Amino acid sequence: MDKSTSQRFVPLKRNWWLKLRFFKLYMLREATVLPLVFFLLCILAGMVALLQGPESWQRWIAFMGSPIVLLLNLLALAASLFHAATFFVLFPRVMPLRIGNYQLPDKAIVAGQWAGVLAVLLLFIWLFGRASV
Amino acid sequence: MQHRDFDIVIVGGGGAGLRAAIAAAESAKAQGISQSIALISKVYPMRSHTVAAEGGAAAVTSEEDTHQAHFDDTVSGGDWLVEQGVVDYFVHHAYQELVQMERWGCPWSRKEDGNVQVRRFGGMKTARTWFAADKTGFHMLHTLFQTSLKYSQIERFDEYFVLDLAVHEGAVIGVIALQVATGELILLRAKAVVLATGGAGRLFRFNTNAGIVTGDGMAIAYRHGVALRDMEFVQYHPTGLPGSGILITEACRGEGGILLNKDGYRYLQDYGLGPETPLGKPENKYMELGPRDKLSQAFWQEQQAGRTGTFGDSDVVYLDLRHLGEAYLLERLPFICELAKSYINVDPVKEPIPIRPAVHYTMGGIKTNPHCETSVAGLYAAGECASVGLHGANRLGSNSLTELLVFGRLAGEQASQRAAQTEWADMNLLETQAAHQQAKLAHLCDGEGSGETWVTLKHAMVQAMESGCGIYRTEEGMRQSLETIRELRARYQKIRVNDTSKIFNTELLECIELGYGLDIAEASCLGALERRESRGAHQRLDEGMQKRDDVNYLKHSQVFYQGDAHARLAWQEVDVRFSAPAERTYGDASKGGKA
Amino acid sequence: MSAQQVSTRRISVKRYLPDNSTEPYWQEYELPVDDSTSLLDALNHIKEQLDSTLSYRWSCRMAICGSCGVMVNGVPKLGCKTFLRDFDDEIRIEPLAHFPVQRDLVVDMEIFLDHLAAVKPYLIDDNPVKPFDPKAPETYRQSPRQLARYKQFANCINCGLCYSACPQFGLNPEFIGPGAIALGHRYNLDSRDHGSTQRMAELNRHEGVWSCTFVGFCSKVCPKHVDPAAAINQSKVASAKHTLIALFKG
Repeated sequence: MDKSTSQRFVPLKRNWWLKLRFFKLYMLREATVLPLVFFLLCILAGMVALLQGPESWQRWIAFMGSPIVLLLNLLALAASLFHAATFFVLFPRVMPLRIGNYQLPDKAIVAGQWAGVLAVLLLFIWLFGRASV
Repeated sequence: MQHRDFDIVIVGGGGAGLRAAIAAAESAKAQGISQSIALISKVYPMRSHTVAAEGGAAAVTSEEDTHQAHFDDTVSGGDWLVEQGVVDYFVHHAYQELVQMERWGCPWSRKEDGNVQVRRFGGMKTARTWFAADKTGFHMLHTLFQTSLKYSQIERFDEYFVLDLAVHEGAVIGVIALQVATGELILLRAKAVVLATGGAGRLFRFNTNAGIVTGDGMAIAYRHGVALRDMEFVQYHPTGLPGSGILITEACRGEGGILLNKDGYRYLQDYGLGPETPLGKPENKYMELGPRDKLSQAFWQEQQAGRTGTFGDSDVVYLDLRHLGEAYLLERLPFICELAKSYINVDPVKEPIPIRPAVHYTMGGIKTNPHCETSVAGLYAAGECASVGLHGANRLGSNSLTELLVFGRLAGEQASQRAAQTEWADMNLLETQAAHQQAKLAHLCDGEGSGETWVTLKHAMVQAMESGCGIYRTEEGMRQSLETIRELRARYQKIRVNDTSKIFNTELLECIELGYGLDIAEASCLGALERRESRGAHQRLDEGMQKRDDVNYLKHSQVFYQGDAHARLAWQEVDVRFSAPAERTYGDASKGGKA
Repeated sequence: MSAQQVSTRRISVKRYLPDNSTEPYWQEYELPVDDSTSLLDALNHIKEQLDSTLSYRWSCRMAICGSCGVMVNGVPKLGCKTFLRDFDDEIRIEPLAHFPVQRDLVVDMEIFLDHLAAVKPYLIDDNPVKPFDPKAPETYRQSPRQLARYKQFANCINCGLCYSACPQFGLNPEFIGPGAIALGHRYNLDSRDHGSTQRMAELNRHEGVWSCTFVGFCSKVCPKHVDPAAAINQSKVASAKHTLIALFKG
């Protein structure tokens, strides 16, 4: 006999992620994409402005300096750092690294990734330093 | 009622059942025929109790080891109540079965060179126990289950509860089962049937066993006239957790763990297992590596002498693993560390584990010949439910996981060969017997009982078994237990199920299991009472019966079902063709004489 | 040593009895507990002393058979490894989420078994260098390090908690899901296996590894620390490599 006739199945509700803290954090991680999209649109607009000439460029600079845009871009920075933090923790589980027979500890891989962030940051500071001289 | 036809029906989805199913499929292929195989299990196969086996599986492996040595250990471990031809077959086929498991992917623990690692186990002369950390049964069961998925000819009936065999003119013709999800009956017509339904540890109150280990297959075969053999021999595992009885593997001692009484003294040296072996240097067949019956008996003696500690309501002794160090414990015994922490809040790295003996294994079972066939033609049995004659009066640790492979395979092959030469019986014959089962179920649910419930009876049964058939037994105690069980059998006729639903009615299953349990409990008590000697796990305190008596009792007990009347006992000669009974000695005492 | 303080606790259980009603309802039970009482002990107490009609699955009571998974206050857990002492407030027990409920706390696991079979969770060894010969049985060699690569994923007890933790499986039951993928991956990582290409067909598709968005709750609830989320995402890396190589080969 078919056992499915008397079964009850509850489909997942749209608000499933509001039930547990773990899921809310997950949604927050996924939501970091929204301020990042805004930031990317800003950069795109900047490039278009650059092509269109000095006037347009100045307008873009002014736009970028407005408090609301600054705030949104600070949010984008925070979001990307948060996303990086969650990503870096997951990375060693996805790509466990071995050197010969030695398995690198997770903490070392996470620290290595942050060191990479720091290195890129320093490189850019140096490049900007040279450019402005 | 649904009808299905299969060449072979296997009842039980644990290690033996799965091994039998695969063997049957391979055997059919080797014969160049196609056979259909049904695998029925009351739980999903990977829930079967094989999953809880921890320590390992024995086979002669190292260059220095010999089949003769494994044979001698098993025969003396079983106190000579074993079928020696069967043991001989077993030790010669053990290794190939473990290698076959390896070839199916079982994650055996390894040595640096990539070969399989072996560990020491109790009562074994040398290290010959293969293991997968301390979850050997789990890994074996999952390997077998997953391997079975390769065989499309094996059709599984998960969560189908077997009510009865259909037998006609001394031959098995099918199986009647209940689909748990719907409460509907199904008839499986078969040419051969293998029972692989596990032991009956749940007859006792304090045990290491899963809730499903209720002896169903034993009772079903027994009710069809097959003898239950050596049922008085029930193994107490010396190391169960207090309170729950959860198993703490013998591998703890194989790896070097020691047993202490409340004074911190290694008491086993006082019970013919000494002298004391140095800490961290376990020696086979000495001290903590003695056999299970001797160790559980030593606990009882310490308890009588007031040298046990207490943990909650339990008297306990202590298993000390601290000297092995955290890293080694986490590599070799991770599950033990997890269990001790979860269930009694003790970290074995830092503290000794309080432990006490708990019922673990049913040495006896459905009597079969050396080819796993019972007295009903076409009906085979393998694994813990069977008594093929391997364990005698006391099973050695790590022989049972190998047993379910060696004899699971044999039973599957035999069933396949039998099915190839047999025709299906007339379906009407099955239907008559199924109607009888349907009536019995309706009776259980008709609400016209005495008002007594299965709960009361079950508690009375496990209490009676524990008080009369414990580690040490007396004539009076066993007589009382037998009388209680017989009275409970009568009262069982009048109980009814409160839950009348057809859908996943677990109360109904508990009730039927209790009926099975009471029948085999009678067999166990009767065997115990009639065996007026002490041998292996059956130890009597009665005057003149405290020693082994080969003149009168070098015999298997066989109990036969007599319906509502009292069961009947008969004796069977033991196969001692290779090794004459000798004294069973461990520790230094074994050095003078033979094994 | 062990505290035997007996007190009384209330637990609520979601009942579903399809013969009587099509709607589930909550039922409260009051029972004596001490420090060692597990949720499974509590359910067994209810079954034996208070209400024999309550249905649930259980067996080993030592967290290895995988039978007794339920939702405890919305989180999937094994009943035998959940202790009432760890809860201050109310305890609400429901059947495992995302599976069809058969009755009370019993869910239909069939779909998990189908997904498990789909990933071919067995050693695929079609062209073995040394076929198994019972007359001269010989094992493969596998170093402890080769064993360590997959051992963690071999510890899956098929309890299904990860499926109840996975919103993607909740949204789409066709997703093969954490447990089955972890076991497929376990064989892919096994040095003795030659079946990863065969398994790729199942894993490298939308309902395979690519349905996973690394929520990661599956690994959080896994009672055996299998970390199925890691297995799936390692499998994504392997799948991506496979696709790329296939692309270049044309």
